[in-house]
Amino acid sequence: MWLPIQINEQSAEPLYYQIEVQLRALIVSGQLEEGVLLPSIRELAQLLKCSVITVRRVYQDLENEGLLRTKQGTGTYVARIEQNAMDRYRLDAVTEGLEAAIDAGKLVQCTREELMKLFQAVLDRKFGG
Amino acid sequence: MTDNAVSLAEVELRRPHFQLGPIHLEVPKGYVTAIVGPNGSGKSSTFRLILDLIKPDKGDIKLLGQRSSSEEDWQTKSKVGYLPELFSPHDDKLRAFSKTEFVKKWYPAWDVNRYQELLRLFEVDDGIRLGKMSKGMRRKYELALVLSHYPELLLLDEPSSGLDPLAWRTMIDVLHRYMEPGDRTILMASHIVEEVKRLADYIVFMVHGRVLGVYEKDELFGSWHAFYVPGEQISRKLAQEMPGHCGIEEAGGGMIRVITRMAPAAEAWCEQEGIAISHRQALQLDDILAILVEQERMRLRS
Repeated sequence: MWLPIQINEQSAEPLYYQIEVQLRALIVSGQLEEGVLLPSIRELAQLLKCSVITVRRVYQDLENEGLLRTKQGTGTYVARIEQNAMDRYRLDAVTEGLEAAIDAGKLVQCTREELMKLFQAVLDRKFGG
Repeated sequence: MTDNAVSLAEVELRRPHFQLGPIHLEVPKGYVTAIVGPNGSGKSSTFRLILDLIKPDKGDIKLLGQRSSSEEDWQTKSKVGYLPELFSPHDDKLRAFSKTEFVKKWYPAWDVNRYQELLRLFEVDDGIRLGKMSKGMRRKYELALVLSHYPELLLLDEPSSGLDPLAWRTMIDVLHRYMEPGDRTILMASHIVEEVKRLADYIVFMVHGRVLGVYEKDELFGSWHAFYVPGEQISRKLAQEMPGHCGIEEAGGGMIRVITRMAPAAEAWCEQEGIAISHRQALQLDDILAILVEQERMRLRS
């Protein structure tokens, strides 16, 4: 099974983190539906050219978050996710994006007011307001 | 405690022109461990020691939980598949299937269907005399032979030498599938960067008969980075303080290139010192090996 996960080897983010973020996004966005059987640990490691230690860690973390469940002997499946958990994860990604944008502003010494104005302008442009 | 498929404790082998060890190495069960090192670093000797084909002068070696050179060790060895780097010429006159007939007697778990399937996958005709086979064909035949009894442990010495790119891909795929059940182990020696990248879970660096360290692959590649920093922000003297630094050079365009083997700590240090990293680059396996070899050379000289 193929998964649209892209690895950036040059990134400062650890590999397990890169995979975790993308796999989580695939699940909470509904691209991987409840009950879908994920590749085995060795298969995903082969696909992403990473070690099974990394993949095991990703599956373990997402299982702890309630996004995956493992059935002994059969494999790892996408778990049933409650709607409010889905919403929270949905907003998590947006919050992360906004934080990155504000960090970029602070790097070039933007003031709070400047950022507010920029935010409003981009908002207007995107929503055609 | 993790289960080890192979363990070597304080093993030494002394030869007039070479000393191996003392080696301390534990090969965890259920994983692919790749030994990486330049020619003559002692990789093949290590395999031969593990299989009790040569005796160490000192130390303790365990294979699948059994101390080697214990009696009845054929039972332990029937659970091992060993692909040597070079094949002895004494069976060159044999047709491949005759060798198969002989070899399979020693393995209770021999599976003729598996053997035929592997020959088909690798496109090998076992009616050919071994001496007449091309290097790649011979390698593929021997690979089929060591995989046909579902060994618990595979020892592969330069498995891909002589293989064309297509056969190489088939081999990688076969080895991944072999590992699928989760309780099998591969210990391989390789200097093919891409092969180690695709297969290994753990990487062992071996230089001049010494084990320089065992690393989880992704952690290794996540730790060895080169940072490019504008020269006005960092002096050579200051760069010496960067955690894990092991190489500082002018990179042109006023940039300084600093190599670190502790990338996360080095990054935190840069932030603390107010140094902006313009660009970063993950080191490749051969870059890392080159640095380790150089460090080892310096150590031997001093």
